Amino acid sequence: MQILLNGLISGSAIALLAVAFQAVYLPTRVFFLGLAGIYALAPFLAHAVLSRGGGWGAAVLVALLGGIGVSLLCEWANHAPLAQRKASEGTHLVASLGIYIVIVQVIAMLWGNDTRTLRTGLDATTRFGGVVITGAQWLTLAAAVVLLAAFAVLLMRSNLGLRLRALADNPTQFALFGYNVDRHRLLAFALAGFFASVSSLATAYDIGFDPHTGLQAVLLAVVAVIIGGRGSFMGPVAGAVLLGILRSQVVWHWSARWQAAATFALLALFLLIRPQGLLGHKSRLEATT
Amino acid sequence: MNYLLHLLVYFDIYLILALSLNLVVGYCGMLTLAHAGYYAVGGYAYALLSLQAGWGFVPAALTGAGIAAVLSLAVSLPAWRLRGDFFVLASLAVQTLIFSALYNWSSANASLGSWRNLTNGPFGISGIPRASILGWQINSSAAFAIFATAVATGCAFTLWRLMISPWGRLLLAMRDDELAARGLGKNTRLAKVQAVAISCGFAAVAGTLYAAHVRFLDPSTASLDESILMLSMVIVGGLGNFRGPVVGAAVLLLLPEMLRFMHLPDAQAANLRLLIYGALLVLMMHFRPQGIAGSHRMK
Repeated sequence: MQILLNGLISGSAIALLAVAFQAVYLPTRVFFLGLAGIYALAPFLAHAVLSRGGGWGAAVLVALLGGIGVSLLCEWANHAPLAQRKASEGTHLVASLGIYIVIVQVIAMLWGNDTRTLRTGLDATTRFGGVVITGAQWLTLAAAVVLLAAFAVLLMRSNLGLRLRALADNPTQFALFGYNVDRHRLLAFALAGFFASVSSLATAYDIGFDPHTGLQAVLLAVVAVIIGGRGSFMGPVAGAVLLGILRSQVVWHWSARWQAAATFALLALFLLIRPQGLLGHKSRLEATT
Repeated sequence: MNYLLHLLVYFDIYLILALSLNLVVGYCGMLTLAHAGYYAVGGYAYALLSLQAGWGFVPAALTGAGIAAVLSLAVSLPAWRLRGDFFVLASLAVQTLIFSALYNWSSANASLGSWRNLTNGPFGISGIPRASILGWQINSSAAFAIFATAVATGCAFTLWRLMISPWGRLLLAMRDDELAARGLGKNTRLAKVQAVAISCGFAAVAGTLYAAHVRFLDPSTASLDESILMLSMVIVGGLGNFRGPVVGAAVLLLLPEMLRFMHLPDAQAANLRLLIYGALLVLMMHFRPQGIAGSHRMK
């Protein structure tokens, strides 16, 4: 039960990041690896504010704004000009990879390569029958549930969500109806920056952070996206929870060293047997460009 | 002088890697991140065979290339069904699996090279013997540099002949329009399997050279950073022809070496080197998507 719950909570952190990835991928078809840079950056910003005597509120605010700002910068300076020139998926991917490398190296040069923590001392714990939950886990779970629910409501109930889904469905027709594609793309990147920063801060509060955590986390999120179904905004949540539970079971039964292998073995299995994902509809993979 | 020889050997190694990777990325149009995995497989094959079985360079290198060619099916079979971003992810999965296998195939109680402790895990393999050919051992660094250059020239020549052969043109046709190539009765699936197997085999030969030169191997040889470096070489240099990867390997190897003479602290220099790779990738995508000397824009 404890293992299951740990998996569920780490899965919810993955889910936030997976939704962030999907918020960019669906409307713009950009494979946004720069997200990994934002994921790495957010806790460092929070840490910088805290170490200068700022409060928690200010630290979180600076980290979130920083994450959103960098995400917008990526779109404005990189992906929008490339998209204007009708660059291919691969071009976006490689440029995005370059951005990730640059962000991580700048962080490492400014703050060093060491692992740090956001909080000091032991975390408070609460007991429920036989299950122990730490304060950081509560925080992760609460943030994930609230934000994912809010995002689902935004997508399904509001006009803005409808427009985002329309953009994901058919960008050309969306533009023909007179909506501003560029503005909505910026919005998608802002959402992604926000969700990635929240996920990163929650994880950093729980287990600490260093400049190189980003790529692994984002790859995990992308695996969750594929398992859950690439075609929907919320499918990745199911994939992420499944992945979180699987990974905690691997730690329990074998060893933490095999986590990555188990994750990618599951990915390979899904790509071969059910490429549309858990919640996806059947469609041809090559029909996307 | 030793420094220059060392640089020459590294150039030889990365020349083979960039040219072989170009066969997959530039000629087949498949962006793979698994190349470092096969590079490491070659290195480990040489390390274990020469250390445990006392094999010479040539049979060990050929065995390593054979193993890598068989393992390359893990990349080429998914390529039958996956395109674009999702093929990249599948190749990343292969890279992670190879890395985990090298990292985890160890046990503290068993001796190195036995079935339970094949790779010695994160501690790596040290004391790898120098290369020996037909019983003659290469001891001086100058002789090894000449030997490495000879191997690299041989590999480059073979790859060049392959690229300009009818088979190379089939790969180009498949990259530009797979459906049309199939319509002409070409077996594109077989061509993909062949191209990836050949490419990974050559990567393994480069790994063998690396193991014989540095004489120490650990799983970081198979890391994602290595794959990214190789990919940067091909992309910055140029896709889809012979001279592109040669230029790329030279530029990306020499550019960071210049930092060595600027007297930066070591930690900063390593970060700055990676920073340059990243910035180069972004700038290339914006201003010259076909690379410095390439003839094909990435799809």
